[in-house]
Amino acid sequence: MSQRATDALFQSLFLLTDIRVMLRESAPLHQLSAEEKEKAGKLLKSVRRQIDILEEELI
Amino acid sequence: MRCAGDIEARQVDETAINIDPIQVGGRLTADAMKAVIAYGDGYSVCDNCRKPFRLDYIKKPPIADFHADLATWLEMDACRVVPGARRGFQAVCQGMVQKGDPVILTALSHYTEFIATESVGAVPREIPKDEKNHITPDAAAETIERVIRTEGKTPALLFVEGVDYQFGNHHDIRGIAKVAHSYDIPVLYNGAYTVGILPVSGRELGVDFVIGSGHKSMAAPAPSGLVATTAEYAERIFATTAVKGDQTGRTFGIKEVAMMGCTLMGVTVMGMMASFPHVKERVLAWDEELRKAKIVIDSLLAIEGTKILSDMPREHTLTRIDTRESFDRVAETHKKRGFFFTSALGKKGITGVIPGATKIWKFNTYGMTESQAEYTANVFLDIARENGLTVND
Repeated sequence: MSQRATDALFQSLFLLTDIRVMLRESAPLHQLSAEEKEKAGKLLKSVRRQIDILEEELI
Repeated sequence: MRCAGDIEARQVDETAINIDPIQVGGRLTADAMKAVIAYGDGYSVCDNCRKPFRLDYIKKPPIADFHADLATWLEMDACRVVPGARRGFQAVCQGMVQKGDPVILTALSHYTEFIATESVGAVPREIPKDEKNHITPDAAAETIERVIRTEGKTPALLFVEGVDYQFGNHHDIRGIAKVAHSYDIPVLYNGAYTVGILPVSGRELGVDFVIGSGHKSMAAPAPSGLVATTAEYAERIFATTAVKGDQTGRTFGIKEVAMMGCTLMGVTVMGMMASFPHVKERVLAWDEELRKAKIVIDSLLAIEGTKILSDMPREHTLTRIDTRESFDRVAETHKKRGFFFTSALGKKGITGVIPGATKIWKFNTYGMTESQAEYTANVFLDIARENGLTVND
């Protein structure tokens, strides 16, 4: 069992959910403000980190 | 894009501004979506279910606390989660109404209120609405008198909608409850369009039952809802089982009959719980929602011939509108006929209006951001101008 992989999986889905909500709040044009772009950037960076963990644990 | 087999991934709210009158208050918060991810499996909340084996006793996740918090929040004494407001209506009918009893509904009651009364063999009788589409205490009194005179029985229960689904109008609940109570008739408050989007206190309203809809107004997955009541009626509505198997002698602990034992055993209750902190916060921002609704309403009223059929100024985000003298005039000669309007809205990223509707229709601005409200307002004006309608500044 890899608790680390499981946590990374859930964490990445949760982070992607936050991005989903950003899409909802900016529909239909999805033109993000500078602040929103910064937030999206941070979320994507965190998702990448979780994917790295998944790769480390599973591949 | 498909999510599985032939099932299309639903992306309505990611790709468009949704103004569907029944959907907007039930859209999930981010936390509810995360709970859906974590608790999607069937009996997912039952991992730590211990004696006495009932949903509202589960401590981990904190479902017991959630039930207590719901009751406190609504200023009632007891609360249960149910699969939709309709099951709340049914549970109350089951506890309060006998076959053949008259039950008072209103001219603006939802169909599920009728079916709830039908499910117990009751006789539904409606309070008529007045010329302003309101249900008034006077009309309630007249209806009760009429029913007692014609049916020879005092009604067993009175249903009334805090905000009705047809016009999104508020009604004088306190006044109606006072009238009903003067005849010893208990009052069920249908909060499907209020509980979860604006402040509601059962105590202040003076009602005996508060019903809420999770999927309509509490940012929760369907089917979900709640039924809350006072100490006076809790034992009756939430009566526990007394039945015994004649061969096995089995009994069934403290399962509640009207709840059919446990109700929301997985993703529905968890979505409702995850959204609850946000729901408690958002009801306090109701004025902000009305302000954004006004942005859209003002633009629609600027289109010559357009009328708002709901109360004005708006005190709810659900609005009934008459565009027979504006957009329907366009539809008369447009090659797409009535579909021109929803087609034009769709192209500009607005969804939720019944396809083909150009006469009398409803929309709901709840949950829009400020920029989405402004965008929506401009889209209506653009469609009007593009089709030769007069827009007043």
